[in-house]
Amino acid sequence: MEIKLKEEVLKDQNKAAAFNRKLFQDSRTLVINIMSSPGAGKTTLLEATVKALAPEYKIGVIEGDLATERDADRLRALGVDTVQINTVGGCHLDARMIAKKLPEFDLDKTDILFIENIGNLVCPSGYDLGQHFKVVVLSVPEGNDKIPKYPIMFRRTDITLINKIDLLPYVPFNLLEAAEDLKSINPEALFKPVSALTGDGMGEWTGWIREVYQTCLSR
Amino acid sequence: MHELSLMAELIKLVSEDAHHRGIIKVSKIDVIVGDLSNVLPEALEEAFVYLRPRVEAPFDEKTELHIIREEARAECRSCGTEFVPDYRIAFCPVCRLPTSELQSGETFRVESYEGCDEDGN
Repeated sequence: MEIKLKEEVLKDQNKAAAFNRKLFQDSRTLVINIMSSPGAGKTTLLEATVKALAPEYKIGVIEGDLATERDADRLRALGVDTVQINTVGGCHLDARMIAKKLPEFDLDKTDILFIENIGNLVCPSGYDLGQHFKVVVLSVPEGNDKIPKYPIMFRRTDITLINKIDLLPYVPFNLLEAAEDLKSINPEALFKPVSALTGDGMGEWTGWIREVYQTCLSR
Repeated sequence: MHELSLMAELIKLVSEDAHHRGIIKVSKIDVIVGDLSNVLPEALEEAFVYLRPRVEAPFDEKTELHIIREEARAECRSCGTEFVPDYRIAFCPVCRLPTSELQSGETFRVESYEGCDEDGN
């Protein structure tokens, strides 16, 4: 006999994402999923972001890596509740991994939860974690050609942060071309150049977070 | 890159449904893979061949995987042109504006499967 199943292969993962989304809405927690290739500066960006926002918001962080607690330790040093997920080879975080870790947070008292995904410009784009916003970080030394070369990641994210702009005088990276390529792939996406190291552009990024935090609360 | 875990999900999905319906042997699975789904059909096929003999019934080495490719198609909101997009997914080749919406190409779905129950139906 033939069975017309018509089910998404990621049905269970998507159910977990919907579960997380409901928890985040009920607890009024703004959740931001940060993705990039390894070394684009996600953790340094998070450190600088947390430092800027910690006086106003209670922040939590979920750190995803294949191995070690190194990134979690960096965030804990700033006094932020941080939970590390080690995927032991897994190339992305999925919604079930997040759901399992959520009981370790007091979500009702958490204003903003950042999820730092596994360093990878391909796989994490396919997994909804239940977040409000997806952010991709592309660093200047990687080259602006990564936007057209990995269009699906840039298509599925709300903001592209160009990090390490302090290196623009030293390495070839065409900001204008990057902005144009992004527009042709994802016209609604925001484009923000920053340097997490020098703080350049960080005010715009944290300003955006403050803004969406308000929108998220009023929903 | 993670087609092995995607295939494990797919096998679980079909196994659970088959169990629920009393199907003891699955002979063929039809799966739709969109060109913009980030799923590689070749890697999916390899993962299936690897996992097929290693999972419990209703699968065996005779179970077939049939991959149906779904082409990416976009439609321009400004001029209505329908086209197959290149990497510039939202870019209309006619009016040259980033005003297109994707109509297809992101699907990753089990469409149907064939199998039989204890009575051979």
